[in-house]
Amino acid sequence: MSARTSDKCVTVEGRDIALDPEGYLIDMDEWTPGVAIALAAQEGRLLTEEHWEVIEVLRDFYRRYEMAPAMRPLVKAVGQTLGAEKGKSLHLMKLFPESPAKVAARLAGLPKPTNCL
Amino acid sequence: MLVMLRHSPHGSSWLREGLDVALVGAALGRKVHVLFLGDGVQALIAGQTSGPLGQKGTHPTLDMLEMYDIDTLLVDGESLAQRGLTIDDLQLPVSLVDAASLPRVLAEHSPIYSF
Amino acid sequence: MLLHILNRSPASSRVPFDALRAMGDNDRLLLLEDGVYGAVAPLAETFASIRGRIFVLKEDLVSRGLEHRQAETMELVDMQGFVALTEQATQTVSWY
Repeated sequence: MSARTSDKCVTVEGRDIALDPEGYLIDMDEWTPGVAIALAAQEGRLLTEEHWEVIEVLRDFYRRYEMAPAMRPLVKAVGQTLGAEKGKSLHLMKLFPESPAKVAARLAGLPKPTNCL
Repeated sequence: MLVMLRHSPHGSSWLREGLDVALVGAALGRKVHVLFLGDGVQALIAGQTSGPLGQKGTHPTLDMLEMYDIDTLLVDGESLAQRGLTIDDLQLPVSLVDAASLPRVLAEHSPIYSF
Repeated sequence: MLLHILNRSPASSRVPFDALRAMGDNDRLLLLEDGVYGAVAPLAETFASIRGRIFVLKEDLVSRGLEHRQAETMELVDMQGFVALTEQATQTVSWY
């Protein structure tokens, strides 16, 4: 797959996908797994199975609540879906260093979490 | 902290702003209780949808409260009755507050945020 | 003791009645902005149950041409009085 990125968009399989100034997808419906891979590459990250399952939890969270979760509810949602072992901030910090709620929401194609401090 | 929600969905942004305060409080680790009073009880009516122009409703946010560990939802019984509602009409399980307990709910919480 | 602050008139809104129901026995109520319309008879009757604990902001009464028309059960306060009421209360609760 060819992916090229700039500040304002990410190009995935020949498609230019627009990003907001903070790097979040402007149109959520444009998200595909390829977009997540390209966005992760921007940050020098390779997505593993453990990343993907969190991304899926996030997308499911958004489908249900129409909002991207802050850290606490993300930890809770991951715990409910993937088990208590993974529902820990440490696990998420390892996968998405610095700010898991923001980093993972971006890769999942969600808006930036608004109640995230 | 107590967040009082006193405005209906769709009609103004007060309800959403109140919910935002509740979510921020919870994200900061505060114990958040929510009191629905007056028109605010109408936020809980089951079966709401987004607006006619696709404007987001507040009903998914109410469902989300438990993910923020906001599980004390207090509802003023009198406000329900005035509007022909009972707890069976609501989208979430709530605790009814009767007339005698209402002042006590306010007295027992600090700070109180009124929306 | 809570200080409740109300800016709606009982002639146009149910909010004043919600505020009254939520008030504790020692709580106080201050009428300001459009709330001061409730300070004039017969609307002032709405607040009969909290005699001695109800205050009206003078500046808002004056600007609406209602000075000297407030019911005698209402205690007038100016901005300084408002500040003093706020300081005496453990917290304030706004009703709008």
